[in-house]
Amino acid sequence: MQGLPLSFTNVSKSFSIKGNALHVVDNLSLDCPAGSFTALLGPSGCGKSTLLRLALALETEDAGSVQIAGGMPRSACRSGVVGVAFQDAALLPWRTVEDNIRLPFEVLGRARPEAAHIANLIELVGLKGFERARPGELSGGMRQRVAIARALATDPHVLLMDEPFGALDLILRRQMNLELQHIWSEKRPTTLLITHGVDEAVYLADRVIVLSPRPARIVADIPITFQRPRGTDLLRDAEFHRLCDEIGTWLEHGPAKPSPASRA
Amino acid sequence: MIRVRDHTATLGLVLGLLLLWEVAGQLRWVADGTLPPLSGIFTRLVSEWREYSPHVIATLRSASLGFVFGNVVAVLAAVCFCLWPLTERLFRGINIAAFTVPPIAVAPVLVIALDGDVARITLAALLVYFPTMTAALAGMQSADPGAIDLIRAYGGTDFKLMRHLRLRNALPFIMSGFQVAAPAAVLGAILAEFGSGARWGLGTFLLGSLGRAEPDRLWGIGLTATAIAGLGYALSAILAARMTDTNRAVNVSVAAPAAEAATDSQWKRAMALAAAILLPFLIWQLLLWWAELSPIIAKTPLGVVDYLLTGKTAASAQERLFAALAETIPITIFGMLVGLGVAFGLALLSFTSPIVTRALLPFALVTQTMPLVALTPLAVLVFGRGVTVTLVITISVTFFAAFVVLVQGFALIPRAAFDLVSVYGASTTKKLNLIAIPASRQWIFVAARLALPKALLGVMIAEWLATGKGLGNLLNQSRGYLDYGMIWTVAIVSILLSILLYQLAGLAEWWLSRRPADGSKSWN
Repeated sequence: MQGLPLSFTNVSKSFSIKGNALHVVDNLSLDCPAGSFTALLGPSGCGKSTLLRLALALETEDAGSVQIAGGMPRSACRSGVVGVAFQDAALLPWRTVEDNIRLPFEVLGRARPEAAHIANLIELVGLKGFERARPGELSGGMRQRVAIARALATDPHVLLMDEPFGALDLILRRQMNLELQHIWSEKRPTTLLITHGVDEAVYLADRVIVLSPRPARIVADIPITFQRPRGTDLLRDAEFHRLCDEIGTWLEHGPAKPSPASRA
Repeated sequence: MIRVRDHTATLGLVLGLLLLWEVAGQLRWVADGTLPPLSGIFTRLVSEWREYSPHVIATLRSASLGFVFGNVVAVLAAVCFCLWPLTERLFRGINIAAFTVPPIAVAPVLVIALDGDVARITLAALLVYFPTMTAALAGMQSADPGAIDLIRAYGGTDFKLMRHLRLRNALPFIMSGFQVAAPAAVLGAILAEFGSGARWGLGTFLLGSLGRAEPDRLWGIGLTATAIAGLGYALSAILAARMTDTNRAVNVSVAAPAAEAATDSQWKRAMALAAAILLPFLIWQLLLWWAELSPIIAKTPLGVVDYLLTGKTAASAQERLFAALAETIPITIFGMLVGLGVAFGLALLSFTSPIVTRALLPFALVTQTMPLVALTPLAVLVFGRGVTVTLVITISVTFFAAFVVLVQGFALIPRAAFDLVSVYGASTTKKLNLIAIPASRQWIFVAARLALPKALLGVMIAEWLATGKGLGNLLNQSRGYLDYGMIWTVAIVSILLSILLYQLAGLAEWWLSRRPADGSKSWN
């Protein structure tokens, strides 16, 4: 296991829009132990992405602290232990698939990765034969897969993903879920996955966090204890569906219907 | 924006005009043969090619060297402005001056201060700087925010962002900047040959041929200069098309790009503004010290103040300057307003009869590459040496520049907006009133700011070469009398005048836009 711990402690963040303060995250604490897989669910615009951007040092918290391996996110990012895939594939249109996957190495100032390493990643995301293609020649789903390969390329210790499978169809999404689980099990990077797919969250994660509408607070923290490796038959398991339904209820009612536990 | 079928209309228009020209020339319709037939011009050009070639080579040389240096400086400046926004604010005064400067006014100053060859290259480079700098900066700033986040997420610094993302992203923008910069370099090179005593160059050739009553020679020079500028435009356009695979509209930025931090205090903003105003004068002073020129020839800022305001020369200088300004300013503003009005009318007409735009737009684009200075003598031939020629030049210069901007601006109005009012049964006039006219408000000002320096340049060239009045003439006379104080004064005053008019256009825009508008702010 190579994961490094990621923690949010009493984090608050607000943005000012036309002079009005918009509280996006309010005194939120979340601990992702080394090697854990956490899925974040919540209504659109609730501040999930802001949490991820805080962990990437793309935003600075107003209060509280975000730490990776006990240090500043910025230094963790600079040292190259963090891998990231955004909602938007964010590929450079003038670079080929291979060269896009190589980009993090250039930014980090590392030696050029071995050709075999890149080829493996491309094969892993099912893009063999498209090594020399440019993003303009790929479909939306293919571009997203390049972004996932790029996130994995630096062999990260912390993997942050913001709806990386959003652009994929259901079949492809399940395939990618299977692959992601496989990769994750091998190296166990500490993973934070933002998603809208309840089944995806339950299928992949050790733990599902449901967030309230803005400002983001934790509404539910649900451990997922299925054995790994998880096969596709889990998707038809009764307990799996019960968990999905429970999470769905949390999402629907949010903090409006607090559970007895959180009231205590 | 310009599709293939549009080109047939343009081709028709151009061929028709050429045919009309030939016929008019053969039959000596225009001012007793001052418009020679095309065939006559070309025959003469071919037979005199030996005489042309050293001039063409000299101009090509200074224009291309100026193009290279100007672009290198422009891209480096854009990199600095992008990396350190404060530098952009400090250089804003210089940038606006570089955009509005009437090149004819600084040409004599450059000829005085610099070695002949260097002066020509510098003026060409100066005119290249602004279009490439703004295009490059816009390209760097428009990089995909997702890609910026990604590179930052891997700890990428501003320099890495520049290296891996912004520079490459700016490349197609820079190429389209070249389309404006290449003809500008030719114009700069020719203008700096005026009165530089250079033996070779199309500008020298033109001045030498002015006195001779040989219209076909003047036309030959004008057309050669236009062809060189057009070639530069075409080469840049091909490069740009290769970079982007799409035919992107050439958009000339007319406003110095603003990157003001909203959080800055009033005091900090005032400081930046003061620095931006002072910096050009500081650089002027430093350059003169560095060049170690005699203060009699090369006037410092204080030298100009002394000449115009405090010294013995003040009274006479003021009198001559004000007389010239009283001549130049009204005609510039009047010509510009008429040109803008005609452009606006024709652009609106494009809604009812699109064929007009289709025929005119590519033609108007081509006119943007014509070196004004080489065409002025031709206008003089046709329209004489009176006020008419100044007006004709100013109006047409303004018209073509404004027309291109307006039509391209109108093309940005979403189709759906028109469809929507059509659904409610709106007539064509209603559509114009409801959508096109409000939408055009912002483009009118863009057009005005773009056309303004060109209008002033047109007036000054006409005054220098033809009418013998106004600022252009004052500049030419002062050159003859070796009145260095006046040469520097006219240069500075015409730059300040240009900036003033530019700021007035900005003020008018601001004043209009703060009135409650009928939902007309912006479509994009």
